[in-house]
Amino acid sequence: MLVITRKPGERITIGDDIVVTVIEVKGSLVRLGVDAPRSISIHRQEIFERIQKQNLEASGIDVSDLNMAVAILNKIQ
Amino acid sequence: MKITTTRFGVISVKKDKIIYMPSGMLGFPEKKRFVLFGHRENSPFLWYQSVDDPSLAFVVTSPFLFVPNYDVEVDEAAKSMSWDDADENDLELYVIANIPKGEPDKITANLIGPLLINIRKRQAVQMVIASSPYSHKYSLAVRQ
Repeated sequence: MLVITRKPGERITIGDDIVVTVIEVKGSLVRLGVDAPRSISIHRQEIFERIQKQNLEASGIDVSDLNMAVAILNKIQ
Repeated sequence: MKITTTRFGVISVKKDKIIYMPSGMLGFPEKKRFVLFGHRENSPFLWYQSVDDPSLAFVVTSPFLFVPNYDVEVDEAAKSMSWDDADENDLELYVIANIPKGEPDKITANLIGPLLINIRKRQAVQMVIASSPYSHKYSLAVRQ
């Protein structure tokens, strides 16, 4: 991993069109600004991973389980 | 065209019904083509079946059926897809449901990773909702 030391207000560039700016450092919090083409998705990693894991779990649902879930939901409502 | 699925056998799909996801679903970046069809009568769910992988299918539903005031910002996602001319009528929002095997009463929906479909363009993107009060495991089988 490349490690670079930067001060608030300083930037790094990645490739031709991605710029990361250190906006503010406050205690253990670092605020970053990212400029990138809009086709590049930028996410907080923990949320990205949570959704990814949820997708993996949700990708193998049995038809019978869904049928039963609908029966349960229709009973509740 | 005919597509093979593990759950529904071989199904016929009109080519213009296929939904294209440039980035796929999170965790499945290579599976880019899907079709959406209803689960059955009196069911709020739809199947979002991969065209490229017979065994890959998600269960989706409208978040508004379960969380009437569900509110997420879709502009950024629409921009990232270059849907500059999309209006409200073109966009449909779904959330992905999950059921642990054999535990249908534990059905949940992921409210932080909704699926945004542009019906006119037949394209879709899975959104990542960073700051929100919503859960990735919102329980659907509870009396509201």
